Amino acid sequence: MASETTPNEAGDLTRRSVLKTSAALGLLAVPAVGLLSACASGGDDGGDDVEASGDAKNPFGVDPKKPLEVVIFPGGFGKDYAEKQKTVYNTNFPEAVVTINAIEDLRAELAPRFQGKTPPDILQNEGANKIPHGELIANNQYHDLQPLLDAPTLDDPNVKIKDILYPGVVESGTFKTTDGSSKFFVLKYTYSMWGLWYSQQLFDEKKWTVPTTWAELMTLCAQIKKDGVAPFTYTGVHTYYIRDMFVTLACRHGGTDVIKNIDNLEPDAWNHPSVLAAAEALYSLKKQGFILGGSEGLDHRQSQARWVKQDAAFIPVGGWLENEEKDILKKEFEMRLMAVPPLDGSVNPQAINAGAGEGYAVPADGKNVQGGLEWLRVMLSAKGREAFGADAGTPTVVKGAKEGLPLEDKPGLKSMVGLLESNGDFAFQAMIGDWYPQFGDGIWGPALGELMSNAKNAAEFVEACQKGADAIASDDSIEKQKR
Amino acid sequence: MKQRKGLFITSFLVLPVALYAIMVISPFLQAFYYSMTNWTGTNPNYKFVGLDNFKRLFTNELYSVYLIPALKHNAFLLIAMPVIVIALALFFAFMLNVGGRSRGSRIRGVGGSKFYKIVFFFPQVLSVTVVGVLWGAIFRSDEYGFLNSILALVGIPTKPSGWLSDPDIVLLLVMLVMIWSSVGFYLVYFSAAMSSIPTEIYEASMLDGASRVQTFFKVTLPLLFESVQTAWIYLGIIALDAFALVFVMTPEQGGPNHSSEVLGGVMYHYFSSSKAAVACAVGVVLFFFTLTLVMVSLRATRRERVEY
Repeated sequence: MASETTPNEAGDLTRRSVLKTSAALGLLAVPAVGLLSACASGGDDGGDDVEASGDAKNPFGVDPKKPLEVVIFPGGFGKDYAEKQKTVYNTNFPEAVVTINAIEDLRAELAPRFQGKTPPDILQNEGANKIPHGELIANNQYHDLQPLLDAPTLDDPNVKIKDILYPGVVESGTFKTTDGSSKFFVLKYTYSMWGLWYSQQLFDEKKWTVPTTWAELMTLCAQIKKDGVAPFTYTGVHTYYIRDMFVTLACRHGGTDVIKNIDNLEPDAWNHPSVLAAAEALYSLKKQGFILGGSEGLDHRQSQARWVKQDAAFIPVGGWLENEEKDILKKEFEMRLMAVPPLDGSVNPQAINAGAGEGYAVPADGKNVQGGLEWLRVMLSAKGREAFGADAGTPTVVKGAKEGLPLEDKPGLKSMVGLLESNGDFAFQAMIGDWYPQFGDGIWGPALGELMSNAKNAAEFVEACQKGADAIASDDSIEKQKR
Repeated sequence: MKQRKGLFITSFLVLPVALYAIMVISPFLQAFYYSMTNWTGTNPNYKFVGLDNFKRLFTNELYSVYLIPALKHNAFLLIAMPVIVIALALFFAFMLNVGGRSRGSRIRGVGGSKFYKIVFFFPQVLSVTVVGVLWGAIFRSDEYGFLNSILALVGIPTKPSGWLSDPDIVLLLVMLVMIWSSVGFYLVYFSAAMSSIPTEIYEASMLDGASRVQTFFKVTLPLLFESVQTAWIYLGIIALDAFALVFVMTPEQGGPNHSSEVLGGVMYHYFSSSKAAVACAVGVVLFFFTLTLVMVSLRATRRERVEY
């Protein structure tokens, strides 16, 4: 249980009961809250500053007897891999007691612990109820991971960790701090991409050829429809699954600057012709009858099940699809991934929506910050990656990550790794939805859903997004990010 | 003597009043205070920001896309849902208790009324999550949906935009489920109230030649007025909530594109997206919304009590 490692809880309870008693005695809430905040800010600020020494065995100076609490979000990849990584950690520090807690609802369980300055030592902050990184960073609640980058790898004392990561990994985990400087706070561990999945088996059986342009895709869709299969399905219930098709089309058509301008909240960024072209392309899918009936009301598992049944030819999902549906996917299905094919006149047709994901961070107020950094070093070691690859079947951010992956058992993974290798130099990601969830969940997602279901046309979609982006840009209370 | 009695009674009240103060009043006051800070839920050093959160909720595009539809939807549910539930429950209760053909001079319900009572009460036994999942499967948008497969059986083409994924009807469907799951309880409640009405009154009205409709409007309804008023308050509370069904049934939990947003859902959304202070502000808005309605409805329904 999480509470085992929170010895301060008793003190916390007293504080709370004192607060409640004082309110009950008839004090007004305002002084009571003042009392609370006075208590809450009474702790020490930040953790110890850790620096990497040259000691390859223990560069962060981990106390070998100190326990370590690891919190894992089990949604995507389970927690078995962490149990295996624990044995790697215990090889060097056999006396350390490592507790691994798998928590689905991170916010509910961890927000009070962050507030009370008793967070875990390492945190995989992911899932629907994650606590946004920006929020914790704004409160100085993450420890800087620079020492990790400067430390030697566990496998080779002459190689530094920063030299084994894919390009872009450090950038995607770097955030602006309250004092305006940028620091590396979040290690994103997996390297993956979004795209359209299809079944090679179905394509062979129906003698369809994989399209390389949007025009070819449209011709193929007409053929697919004629053959009695729906060309597309998607989940309309979780609209962020639609983002990939839109950003890939726009980025391929107009170049990465189109997406960067959107991320940077440039005025009129959404009024770019490539954005409209991408929106029109998506709008046309339903208009032409290319979407499986009722897709707008299906959740991700329902739409994926229809796709596995070969009721639909294409589905836009991220790299985890093969893992998520492993119970119903057969190997003969031969799942394949392709990026959304480019529109006519695309200037950047090889772009893929790929990058690092699954953020791990070391909370600044954790009791064993050194141990937290060491845990990340273990995760990036050959044995740590092997444990993850075997269980999760997903590449990591360490270069040459396909080594040790079960490629032959997983046709989908194999096809994704192939794409990452061939188009990796053109990888890009849109950040706006992660940076500004109010925009991603409140404006962009709903607008994409309505675009797909034709409740909004392309021009209305662009207008709604531009209006929302302007609202973010003009809201002083929101910390702005730049790329 | 009188004073001592007062003291005696007060001593018994200390505990419940203290509990009420700790469990109800104090969180209320705290929510009012938090709604005027920039508390995210995790930052220990939050600041007082005055009414900024309220201003944002109503005027900033990013916030008003949630709040304004939610206010409208709750107001709509509050007006429509209790009326329909009470009307249906009263009608069924009347039919099951006094609506049957009278043989001799005995007052009775329609045939099989005991069986119907159990059937109508059934939804009340299910948890609201189960109800939501059940109706989600009925309204499922593709041809595996229960409703869609029935339509297909009788040869009507499936609704192309789905049911819950159609922004124009999603709120009506949520309300339909609320009605379905509430009618049974109020049917039993009104039945109990009706059985306490003395049968002589019915017999007298029957002797005077009153029809079933006349009996209902001139005898049953006036004598049930207090029960109806209570039901109205409970249903009003359900209508102001509606959160669980919206959360389980609708796309994007309040969608598509905010067309089934309710205040409880908006509050949850802000609590779970690092805006605890804004969530508290939504709670305060809901508080005043409720307070106004309670005052209006208490004024409007004040009348003299009928003794019998």
